Amino acid sequence: MVDLTLEIRKTAKELLEKGEAKVVLGWEKGNFPYSTTPVFIDKPEDTERLIWDEYCINNLALYMLDYKHLDGKVGIFVKGCDSRGINRLVQDKQLDREKVILIGLSCPGMKDEKKAKELGPNADIPMAQKCQDCRYPDPVVYDVFLGEKQNKKVPEKIDTSDVEEMETKSPDEKYRFFTTNYEKCLRCYACRNVCPACNCKECIFDQTATGWLAKANNVSNNMFFALTRAMHVGGRCIECGECERVCSVNIPIMLLNKKIIKDINFLFGDYDAGLETEERLPLGGYDYTDPEEFM
Amino acid sequence: MKRVGVFICHCGTNIGGVVDCPKVAEIAKDYPGVVYSVDNKYMCSEPGQELIKKAIKEQNLDRVVVASCSPRMHEPTFRRCVENAGMNAYFMEMANIREHCSWVHASEKDKATEKACDLVKMAVAKAIMNKPLQKATIPVTDRALVIGGGIAGIQAALDLANAGHVVDIVEKEPSIGGKMAQIDKTFPTLDCSACILTPKMVDASSHPNINLITYSEVEKVEGFVGNFDVTIRKKARSVDMSVCTGCGVCMSKCPSKVDSEFEMLLSKRKAIYTPFPQAIPNKPVIDRDNCTYFKTGKCGICQKVCTLGAIDYTQEDEFVVTRYGAIVISTGFEQFDHSVYGEYGYGKYPDVITGMHFERLINASGPTMGKIKRPSDGKVPKNVVFIKCVGSRDVAKGKSYCSKTCCMYTAKHATLVTEKIEDSNVYIFYMDVRTGGKGYEEFYNRTREKYDAQYIRGRVSKVFKQGDKLIVRGEDTLLSQAVEIEADMVVLATAMVPQADASKLAQKIGIGYDKDHFFTEAHPKLAPVETHTQGVYLAGACQGPKDIPESVAQASAAAAKACGLLSKSEMLTEPIISVVNESICVGCGLCVPICPYKAIDLKTISERDHGKTIERLVADVNGGLCQGCGACTVACRSGALDLKHFTDQQILAEVNALCL
Repeated sequence: MVDLTLEIRKTAKELLEKGEAKVVLGWEKGNFPYSTTPVFIDKPEDTERLIWDEYCINNLALYMLDYKHLDGKVGIFVKGCDSRGINRLVQDKQLDREKVILIGLSCPGMKDEKKAKELGPNADIPMAQKCQDCRYPDPVVYDVFLGEKQNKKVPEKIDTSDVEEMETKSPDEKYRFFTTNYEKCLRCYACRNVCPACNCKECIFDQTATGWLAKANNVSNNMFFALTRAMHVGGRCIECGECERVCSVNIPIMLLNKKIIKDINFLFGDYDAGLETEERLPLGGYDYTDPEEFM
Repeated sequence: MKRVGVFICHCGTNIGGVVDCPKVAEIAKDYPGVVYSVDNKYMCSEPGQELIKKAIKEQNLDRVVVASCSPRMHEPTFRRCVENAGMNAYFMEMANIREHCSWVHASEKDKATEKACDLVKMAVAKAIMNKPLQKATIPVTDRALVIGGGIAGIQAALDLANAGHVVDIVEKEPSIGGKMAQIDKTFPTLDCSACILTPKMVDASSHPNINLITYSEVEKVEGFVGNFDVTIRKKARSVDMSVCTGCGVCMSKCPSKVDSEFEMLLSKRKAIYTPFPQAIPNKPVIDRDNCTYFKTGKCGICQKVCTLGAIDYTQEDEFVVTRYGAIVISTGFEQFDHSVYGEYGYGKYPDVITGMHFERLINASGPTMGKIKRPSDGKVPKNVVFIKCVGSRDVAKGKSYCSKTCCMYTAKHATLVTEKIEDSNVYIFYMDVRTGGKGYEEFYNRTREKYDAQYIRGRVSKVFKQGDKLIVRGEDTLLSQAVEIEADMVVLATAMVPQADASKLAQKIGIGYDKDHFFTEAHPKLAPVETHTQGVYLAGACQGPKDIPESVAQASAAAAKACGLLSKSEMLTEPIISVVNESICVGCGLCVPICPYKAIDLKTISERDHGKTIERLVADVNGGLCQGCGACTVACRSGALDLKHFTDQQILAEVNALCL
């Protein structure tokens, strides 16, 4: 990873020096050994801050929204999940593919920062859950590729065993499960803020005057928020797991996302969001041949 | 504070017999905003409407809630009523306490009354939030398109043309005429089908307002009511229509013989052909799949014999785009593919034929010159068995519906067999005999009594060959015994199904179709010739099984509807359409493919952002195309799209009224 760090710095420096990119998005070391944070470099001399280690877990794609109207290109380092996030934004017409230079990196799977914090400096830190579930460690789209692809063998279909287990429970048990979890929700909206599929100009949850969602923090409002959020990314969720990773009260947010993915796969055929940008979204079209079996 | 008036309708006993209407009116007085509340026997009646108008003036109302039937029928009535009293029509809100309440809760009167109160309460809450809406106008192109040149299409075109409108008929076959041209006699009068059809065909072709576009198909339909831009594919005829006189020399000299579709494959036609002698236009086309010149590059006889040089092998399909104000669809029917009934031996035994084959066999200009002969050996059949409901009324193998015409045409066939063949016997296997229609029952009785047709109630289990006879084994369910009939010929009354590509055409035009792919009318009773797409009308069997009189009647009805639209140069548009809040629209474009009416596009707008002028995409709704279905508002995750008159705020007000 040290070699790759040097290559990353070199590539970023070149992009900025030649003026090919105005800004480069990557990762830099944080305050702790287990924290690595996104960094936005716009001067060649700052590229020394860039690193590539086992904690570069943040999905950077979402930050492209801040550069929507930048004159010039943005360079961005992408793992598998970041690249799917980029496709997400391109397909949602929030990003002009021409205005971004994608530098691909093969991701070995990142470590769990929360566990690292708990277990201390000498422990063997397990891989983060979102990386254990990852099926696309190599970027699905890139302009330049650094290092070597690992072509790791990954499961063909998303693992929905946890969803299936939940489906076997009684309505009461399910309701209890969700109320217990969403009682904890602080409505900090971190899950929304970190999500590349949440790219609205003005989020519905910020439009308080419409009256959809009250500000009060209670189970009813929290669950309404959670379900609405899950539906709004339905068919577009790239399974990067960032929402669940950033949840400060450890709500299993991906369970809802995966339930919707599972249903879409069942109803409309297998679909992995963010692999390409042209195909119509499974929930994004009117189909006259829709059988409408429920009618 | 808004001043709401509430009007509770008894609808005679429809509502009043279940819901305690005076009580609902009394309770409604306490709902927020309500200043006046009253009940009446018939709100839609003249006195009922007068009551509303009077109350608006006297009570100074600015919102009206009418609790009565489904808005489908009387929403326009009450909108007009409040408009006459000087109020914006969209300030009137209806609560459906009949279909949604009294009819479904007839046995629970108290609960029904309680529910009626809730429905009124919701309507009051919504009415208060209602905004005044204004109708806009769009121009109307005075030209109609008729798709399908069968009897329904011809009739619709003639009626439109006689009313002074220009009409184009698009027909996929080389000639107009459709199925009626293949039929020999028509029930119940037994007039010759061609004799009454061909004059209409000639009328259509010679009418100054009608253009025939034969051997052509609709490729694409864009635009909206009053302004449909239709792309028509004119298939290459390989014959220059402007030069050809229809002398027919090419057809007589052509060496390639092909089974004639018009004659139900019972005789041959040439590769350069007109489907039948009275074809209109009576100018041939080259069937390129079967033409020796197109297959091998050799031959060219037709070109050599044509003294006018009308044969053009280099012709290509031509695409023309024309703007129409209205579209009448009259694509008719096909015969059900009865090969699923292997037990009847169709395809295996040449003497098992369908009703349409039979029509050709008895037609004087058909392959046997009107003599009924067996296709296998040309012998005259003595015993003829008819099997009805082949594909109709059979949920397991065929269609669930009744094809409606088979009872009558089988009776017709039976009389014709008896008339034409001496000492013949006719046996008809049936499930029920349905003869609704003027003179139909009398015709059926005559068939039984005067022509001595043997009606056997029951289904046939098997048809098999024995010597040169066909043994028809079935059951007579009235006598509860098995029957076996030695037949010389078996005629299957196959179901009517829509054209194979009906669903594709419906998708191109943007209209609905049912599970059997018949086109769906806007309302089965009150709008039977309209579709849910304004400006598109239905005529004939493409909407459901129909006989000739019904098809003609519906064609004239569709024409009358189209005339109503085309008679004005401008039309009012419904203001209940989607609107985009550009300030929060993120331009993701998800609403574009979601819209069934292709009413949404993305457009670029420029705005100031942090001291810079930036450009961004936002959704743009075409008010002429939008039908107000609301699909886009659901797809829009930002909530930037909203449906006027059903805004999020208005719906939430209703929900809150009920739940809070």
